[in-house]
Amino acid sequence: MKPAADDALDQELMAAVARQDGRAFARLVERHLGWSLRFVERMVGGRQDAEDLVQTAFLRVWQGASRWEPQAKFSTWLYRVLHNLCMDHFRARGTPTEALDEALPDGAPASEERVAGTQRAARVRAALATLPERQRAAIVLCYYEERSQAEAATLLGVSEGALESLLSRGRAALKKHMSEELH
Amino acid sequence: MDLTRFKGCAEAYGADRRRWPAREHALYDRFAGTPEGAAILAEAERTDRFLDALEVAAPDAALGRAITNLPSQRSGAGGRRRFWIPAAAFAASAILGFAIGFAQVRDDGNADLVTQLLLGPESVREIGL
Repeated sequence: MKPAADDALDQELMAAVARQDGRAFARLVERHLGWSLRFVERMVGGRQDAEDLVQTAFLRVWQGASRWEPQAKFSTWLYRVLHNLCMDHFRARGTPTEALDEALPDGAPASEERVAGTQRAARVRAALATLPERQRAAIVLCYYEERSQAEAATLLGVSEGALESLLSRGRAALKKHMSEELH
Repeated sequence: MDLTRFKGCAEAYGADRRRWPAREHALYDRFAGTPEGAAILAEAERTDRFLDALEVAAPDAALGRAITNLPSQRSGAGGRRRFWIPAAAFAASAILGFAIGFAQVRDDGNADLVTQLLLGPESVREIGL
């Protein structure tokens, strides 16, 4: 499906959700839950918090559908909702610290490779958690989510030049973090 | 000057051309194959590989169901796993109430009342207090 068709479908679904159509809401959840959770988990560093925040975001979708006006893509609007929830979360809890507390995903036997992978992921979470929130958001949006510079800049409320600066500083800090780990 | 800009882009967007702004793709193509450009990209790629280690598992089906059911529940955020909070608050207040009552009885120094409270009024006679 082409992106334009995706956007049109989202708009149709939101119109139906505004009429309290539960099936349309389920369809929206199905279409957008995956990336929403990915984005928030990389932002806040923990699965449980990410799941709670994503639930809150979709509840806002349901409650706010009647007021929603399709001036931007639905996904852009949802990113903004998710991003704002992450910022509220950081303000409420201070600097995220749960990055290193993540356990193995389930009770299955852990192979050496799996443990190593989990440890590597924990190191990245910890490194991302040390970044200022806007640098982290810029990296998550542009690197992981591969959003365009224009969309990421709009979401963060900065110019594209400022976005590039956030990315450069964020990646430089990660590089420093990596080199310190080696020594 | 162009190589400086190439380095600036690599430091911001990484080694993968897809992540660079479209307007800089020509710059990427011009320098990526040169020794200087390749060295810059190799350095950027180290950070890319570091970031790639953070994989995120797909959402489980239960989360999707919980969110889909949110409208019918009309509950607040975190309805799926935070249901224990009011239950825990109720249990904590019950325990606290009992503890306060128990402490007040003890303060009065009245052992009979404590026994009655714990075991019932008949117990005082039964155990010979």
